[in-house]
Amino acid sequence: MNSVRAADPIPAATCDTNPQLEGRYRGLLEAAPDAMVVADQGGEIVLLNLQAERQFGYRRDELLGQPVTNIIPEGFAERLIADDLRSTEDALAQQIGTGIELIGLRKDGSRFPIELMLSPLETAEGTLVTAAIRNISLRKAAEKHLDEMEGKYCGLLEAAPDAMVVVNQDGDIVLLNLQAEKRFGYRRDELLGQKVTNIIPQGFAERLVADELRSAKDAEEQQIGTGIELIALRKDGTEFPIEIMLSPLESAEGILVTAAIRDICVRKKAEAHLLRKVEELNRSNEELAQFAYIASHDLQEPLRMVASYTQLLSKRYKGKLDADADEFIAFAVDGASRMQRLIQGLLAYSRVGTKGEQPRCISSDKALQQALVNLGGAVRDSGAVVTHDPLPNVMADEMQLVQLFQNLVGNAIKFQTSGAPKVHVSATNNGTNWTISVTDNGIGIDPQYFERIFGVFQRLHKRDEFAGTGIGLAICKKIVERHGGTIWVESEPGCGSTFRFALASIENSECMILE
Amino acid sequence: MPLRVLLVEDSAGDARLTQEAFCDANPTIRWHVATDGVEAMAFLNRTGDHSSAPRPDFILLDLNLPKMDGREVLARIKDNENLKSIPIVILTTSDAEADIVSSYRLHANCFMSKPVQLEDFETLVNSINDFWLTRVKLPQQVQ
Repeated sequence: MNSVRAADPIPAATCDTNPQLEGRYRGLLEAAPDAMVVADQGGEIVLLNLQAERQFGYRRDELLGQPVTNIIPEGFAERLIADDLRSTEDALAQQIGTGIELIGLRKDGSRFPIELMLSPLETAEGTLVTAAIRNISLRKAAEKHLDEMEGKYCGLLEAAPDAMVVVNQDGDIVLLNLQAEKRFGYRRDELLGQKVTNIIPQGFAERLVADELRSAKDAEEQQIGTGIELIALRKDGTEFPIEIMLSPLESAEGILVTAAIRDICVRKKAEAHLLRKVEELNRSNEELAQFAYIASHDLQEPLRMVASYTQLLSKRYKGKLDADADEFIAFAVDGASRMQRLIQGLLAYSRVGTKGEQPRCISSDKALQQALVNLGGAVRDSGAVVTHDPLPNVMADEMQLVQLFQNLVGNAIKFQTSGAPKVHVSATNNGTNWTISVTDNGIGIDPQYFERIFGVFQRLHKRDEFAGTGIGLAICKKIVERHGGTIWVESEPGCGSTFRFALASIENSECMILE
Repeated sequence: MPLRVLLVEDSAGDARLTQEAFCDANPTIRWHVATDGVEAMAFLNRTGDHSSAPRPDFILLDLNLPKMDGREVLARIKDNENLKSIPIVILTTSDAEADIVSSYRLHANCFMSKPVQLEDFETLVNSINDFWLTRVKLPQQVQ
């Protein structure tokens, strides 16, 4: 501009051409990247460059001497003119250098957004105004798009049920929603531009940053979508547990990370509560199991004394006292030995839970054979015929499966009033379960007792009809349930019974019995 | 010469029951009863009130005893050059595998679980008598 000022005064411009001005400034004007239009205080175009011709679609001669309002209908000419409130200098001074956004009008009538940069040009004819005119269509479109996007995104952000914080790769907060303000107790302006470590001291910012082991992209990818549990810090210094879900957000500023932050205080409390309850329940279950075991175990000792000495009394003094004494002693002996059987049953029942082994792959065929060996005397004495189909390999505690068969086959032999017991053991598979059935030709069971018979110490018969404590099927049920299975009975009085239990079947490949 | 048996048993009822059961099988046994481990060791070492105690030919030892339990009594006897030749039968209500293993590790001569039924107990006592106190040759007493 100095060179311009230093120049000689320029003669008054003619109405259509301005050769002096042209000559002087053409080079300068044409070199400018923007469309350049020089107007006088009257708002007439006195000079323009090729870019201006192109931008507005006019030939030079069509514009020179014409009102600048032809190409910039509003907002430019007005600024050139002093009004009652300001002098020409003031008017100009106020405009200089500022980027004014206006609308340009092409010869073909189309309009486009422009940005004007004005600078004064002192000449002999007075102060002219040079306008650098930039077509900002692209920028406007981009801005509009961005506004729309931001509008939409902000809407989404505010609508989110979680606190949302958008953070850049440096760990600065660039956006947040109302929920975030509420959760952390800050006003929006107190957080924008601040480090995210102010509200999430540990575990978040670190994840945004690449280290020697991973690129920024990898760092970020590793975090996306995972629920990370961290501790958040409120403005008042209090902490609360949060879960954050991260997702990447491509933006003009690079990749941002959106963090959805959920206050999991309630969930954490609920979890802790649940855990405590589960622990309590486990403990009380364990205590109960221990109690049952210890009680029955410790009761056995004094009971052994009672039973042994009443038996000794009976043995040594039977027939030596009177008939009443014999009867009394007999009742005492019977009561004591019955109680012993009950306690042994209870012990066996509690051992199912406390002394069980980890299930492993075993042959149920072998387990049945072992049960039959254990039952030996009962099978022989009753003349029972026990048959079985091929039986599968199952995942089970072998001892317990033996006991299960022993109790079921034992019952099948015991509850029999006519002739030799016939017992058949079979197995079927429905794809997911093996159902093993023990069928007898015994006395059968009234359906109303189907549930009750599996209870502890439940008996359907008088002791002098069928011996037993009523613990056997309860033990069976406990064993089957410990293996995740179910047990049930199908029967009709007088037509025999079928006890079935289902155990999850296993793939052959999973079950290799080591011999 | 009647056999001397040291019975280490804290329960008077059990001690009597054992003696009663043996009584039918072998009435000549001379019984000595210690009711805890400390007393058993005093008897064997002839200390305190037991300075004139005889050396037993055979020991029936319970595992769960007050003051000094049967495992320690067993360990001390088998660690004692003078006493270790006396056969010891563990007779206890326990049938825990751990007790069985540890008893044999400590050189118990055999381990027996006390049956709950009197009849079974009598059978067991008979077999102890028949084997340990009848058929087995015990070492001659060494002073």
